[in-house]
Amino acid sequence: MINFIFSPIGFFVLLSFFIAGALGSLIFQKNDRLANVWSGVFASAGSIWGLIFSSLLLLGSFSVSWAANSTSFSLLSVSFNIDKLSAFFIFVISLITLFCSFYGIGYVKHFYKRYNIGVLGLFFNLFIVGMLLVVSAANGIFWLIAWEIMSIASYFLVVYDRNDQENVRAGFLYLVMTHVGTVFIIISFFLLYKFTGSFDFSVVKANMALVPALAKDIIFVLALIGFGTKAGIIPFHIWLPAAHPAAPSHVSGLMSGVMIKTGIYMMIRIFLNMVQPIPVWWGVIILIIGSISALLGVLYAITEHDIKKLLAYHSIENIGIILLGLGSALAFSSLNLPTLALISLTAALFHTLNHAIFKSLLFLSAGSVINKNHTRNIEEYGGLIKFMPYTALFFLVGSMAISAMPPFNGFFSEWLTFQSLFQGIISIGSYVRWTFIISAGALAFTGGLALLCFAKAFGAIFLARPRSEEAKHATESSPWLLVGMGSLALLSLFFGLFSGPVISAIKNVSQSLVISSSAVSLVSVNSNQTISMGNFSSLSAPVFALIFVVVLTAVFLLVKYLIYCRQKVSVGATWDCGTDLTPRMEITSTSFARSIILIFKGVLRPRLHYDVKYHDSQSRYLPESRTVDISIKDIYSTYFYGPLSRFIFALSEKIKSIQNGNINSYILYIFGALLLVLFLVR
Amino acid sequence: MNTLFLQFLLILFFLSVVFLHTAKRNYWTIFLYGLQSLIVTILLVLSFLETGAIAALLMAGLILVVKVIIAPLFFFRLMKKYSLKFLVSTYINIPLTFIIITILTVVAHSSVFLPLTTIVSTNHFYLSVILATLFISLFLIINRKGVLSQITGVLSLENSIVAFAFFSWLEQSLALQIGIIFDIFVWIIITTIFMSMLYKHFKSFDVTRMEELKD
Amino acid sequence: MIIWLLQIILIPALSPLGIGFVKKIKAKMQNRQGASLIQPYRDLWKLFHKDEIISSDASWVFRAAPFIVFSVTIVVGSSIPLFGSFLDNYFTSDMLLVVYSLAIGTFFLALAGMDTGGAFGGFGSSREMTVSALAEGGLIFSLLTLAFHSGSTNLFKISSQVIAAYDFSFLPVILAFLGFFIVLLAENGRFPFDNSATHLELTMIHEAMIIEYSGKRLALMEWAAANKLLIFGALAVNLFFSAGIARSAGLTAIFWGVIALLIKVAVVFFAIAVLESVIAKFRFFRLPDILFISFILNIAAIALLL
Repeated sequence: MINFIFSPIGFFVLLSFFIAGALGSLIFQKNDRLANVWSGVFASAGSIWGLIFSSLLLLGSFSVSWAANSTSFSLLSVSFNIDKLSAFFIFVISLITLFCSFYGIGYVKHFYKRYNIGVLGLFFNLFIVGMLLVVSAANGIFWLIAWEIMSIASYFLVVYDRNDQENVRAGFLYLVMTHVGTVFIIISFFLLYKFTGSFDFSVVKANMALVPALAKDIIFVLALIGFGTKAGIIPFHIWLPAAHPAAPSHVSGLMSGVMIKTGIYMMIRIFLNMVQPIPVWWGVIILIIGSISALLGVLYAITEHDIKKLLAYHSIENIGIILLGLGSALAFSSLNLPTLALISLTAALFHTLNHAIFKSLLFLSAGSVINKNHTRNIEEYGGLIKFMPYTALFFLVGSMAISAMPPFNGFFSEWLTFQSLFQGIISIGSYVRWTFIISAGALAFTGGLALLCFAKAFGAIFLARPRSEEAKHATESSPWLLVGMGSLALLSLFFGLFSGPVISAIKNVSQSLVISSSAVSLVSVNSNQTISMGNFSSLSAPVFALIFVVVLTAVFLLVKYLIYCRQKVSVGATWDCGTDLTPRMEITSTSFARSIILIFKGVLRPRLHYDVKYHDSQSRYLPESRTVDISIKDIYSTYFYGPLSRFIFALSEKIKSIQNGNINSYILYIFGALLLVLFLVR
Repeated sequence: MNTLFLQFLLILFFLSVVFLHTAKRNYWTIFLYGLQSLIVTILLVLSFLETGAIAALLMAGLILVVKVIIAPLFFFRLMKKYSLKFLVSTYINIPLTFIIITILTVVAHSSVFLPLTTIVSTNHFYLSVILATLFISLFLIINRKGVLSQITGVLSLENSIVAFAFFSWLEQSLALQIGIIFDIFVWIIITTIFMSMLYKHFKSFDVTRMEELKD
Repeated sequence: MIIWLLQIILIPALSPLGIGFVKKIKAKMQNRQGASLIQPYRDLWKLFHKDEIISSDASWVFRAAPFIVFSVTIVVGSSIPLFGSFLDNYFTSDMLLVVYSLAIGTFFLALAGMDTGGAFGGFGSSREMTVSALAEGGLIFSLLTLAFHSGSTNLFKISSQVIAAYDFSFLPVILAFLGFFIVLLAENGRFPFDNSATHLELTMIHEAMIIEYSGKRLALMEWAAANKLLIFGALAVNLFFSAGIARSAGLTAIFWGVIALLIKVAVVFFAIAVLESVIAKFRFFRLPDILFISFILNIAAIALLL
């Protein structure tokens, strides 16, 4: 039985679950409920199988590979190779898919009778199939096909709610950006093919010596731009804050938690596995990009008051943190420090897993809140903790995890990233050390700013009084949604408490990649769950949690029951300074973030605009209305993409004059081109 | 017998295309096209006589029926329906047209296309002439403003391709022939639609009217 | 053991005394007698025996926050070196764990400030989170300097080793201490960041967040703030200038360790009190500049060290 799972058949079974879900959902599209339940059940079953499959692969020492024997296309071979890294990513994908599809069964109910549910199920399952193939494909062209399946399926999911024009525009931007990235990836694959003669990853890896250094550098830059566009690094991130809010919430969770990680997967695969040895400046560039993405991502998140856009910017920030780990791994491996490269890669992979968990948790709870309030604007929420207590609790868990608070899982992966950066500062000299110092500073600030952002988000959404009529009539989410979110919250706590064994397991994954066999791990976990980094640091998650819970209980019992038991606790109104208590008195998210925005106004460039309308425009004494406009425009749109798109449009207008509507001239063009080609081919 | 006969056929072929450029009335255009198709039929019959492949005879018969008989009849009917007697003019006047035809013929015979025309080295001369015919048919499409002559240009392009295939000993490939026949059928369908839509929209067959469509 | 018990209760037991000491010095500088040194104990006792009123808009976050904040200070207080650097705590004494646990306290304090929906609480939370977000970088980096100096991020190890190599690494340690001192002032709401005696809405940060609390919960919040001040003070003296700290588990060593702690912390609190009497509170938008100065000082310290 175990052998059966290990063989390629296990992987095919995995894919067939999702394909069955897709096809069945399409066939049953007339019956909304059946299509929804069918696709959700098959997706959940498939992800459970995927969990089993990948866990067995991770814990054992096998790898699954298979190649089709077709010779009709010589460059494309349908082959996949699942080693530990792929198995790890399949694990992450399956884990998040399980809970998102569970959640989806309840969530999609509010799309019934409005859209075609069968199509949603179809593209959802196809999306997951695409992702699974992307992380396991072993041939460049097959990989590109899988990448396209993933992108197109997610495009259809993004524009699913097509009655809202914003979503359609967001989907278009997403489509354009992902294909721009794909072009870069294709060019880098072609360059690899040109020098090594094959698209198969294993053949490329074996023939790396044939690639000259300059070509390697060009491949690096192209691949970084291409995969970075999918991962959402700055400045190629503009599709993220548009596309993630537009998709249905369980898809947003999946996109943000898993799809952008496929870009990270390919970066690890190409930079650490295939294209070796590498110069040190690659790692430095990725460190710099990671720091910038982390800082700017969290700063833009602070300025947002659309809940999903806020979470999307946080994804950018966390990708920055993952890139910090990845960049230090690259730097260490190029400086021949495989022990430290092991730690950095483990940190990056651990943060990938953790971010997938808590980001999808946050998106799912945001989706429940949006469902009940029919708006994404935080300013119209407020006081929801009384109406949706469980959703609030899960969002709180997600916020604590993403702000790196022990004992949740976010803290431990950030701790590990910090450790690898610290080791870098100690062990490396010259300018590379300064990059590490700056990255550590960026990480430190990011943690604090993320804390601010989630205090703002949680406070504005759930605390104080409701600020709109809709918020007053909110109710708790349905059980499906609660189970999906609750399991993710529990997982967040679980992976935090048991981060020791998890780190050991991920260390095995990284060890399979780090090229030197002399890489001895500096991170060790001893029997009482203490994670120690050589002699430098150590901490223990369960002990901390235990101590904290014990102290909390002790304090609570002491204070509540032992000291002055005759105290009377009564409920009154909040102090209102003598005026009426209105929802306008409480702080909104815009004002909460105003201080930080003004502090960073050099980077964010907020605009403040006043407008007055007078009763009598002649005398201008009594204003009828005053408007204050506080806005932040994304500086990338203004300074980078704006001029670029204007230039492209101007160029297109000029070229349009070739198209003069005359058939004869078109045939003349064809004839001239034919002659030219015949001349050249000679 | 064969070489002389072949050369005669070829000269006729070449001249038919050249005179297509000068035909002022539609009747001549269709007649010249029919003549071309007849030549191709004869070529295929010759190949059947040489090689005894029944496929070639079948093809010859088919081409005879479709290109020599049905297509000109179809065009005649079209002419009567829309009562076109006279052609629309060309872009370039006649002397310049002939100069360009000469240039194209020289180009086709030049060393540029030597690899192409020496596929079968004995037929080198024939292949060069056919290549020149090909280019001149293309030029016909470019030069003319009327839909009918453009269609005729494409059809003569087809004929020259078939002749090229014959002279480079490729005519045995059944797929080639079937492909060409299918191509013609599809082209006839498309041109009917094209012509009817053009006429419905612009009330004339002048293709330059389509310039009004651009934004 | 007894030593661990001492470690756990030392901070909560001594922190009101620390607050009282600071207030006394300030009073003396203002030419007053001032309240007695043990007045904060009496205040806490009074608050513990009062009734409470909880706002109707508050949720469980408001009710639970004081307990969480107080427990965090107890847990952190027992994980830092107070009187002895010989204790082996590999579980919770990591520098980053301490920093982020204190962040838990700040987070729940900010949430509690927003929970009641009053006009003051939200502003206090906003300002507190802003200051704390910017101070975290300086805090981590000043502790990092010491970690590089002593080769470990375990706080007990740091306190046992810093004194050994004062010769040429004195300057980085002093720079890091200055950076740490600025963060101490920021995190505890001392001048020039916050005035703990004010109740004007334009100037409150910490006071604004706890303005709706009363009775036992207010006592816990005040006590937690005092704990935090003592924790930062103990960190300042024991990590940077660890003379006098007990290096072995002997009774006399521990006794002298406690005395050394009291004396050193008294010096630091004296400096805080003098600072509060001499300078004014800064305008809010000048505070980020000071915090960036702290960060730069720490980076300079690291650069000099390595």
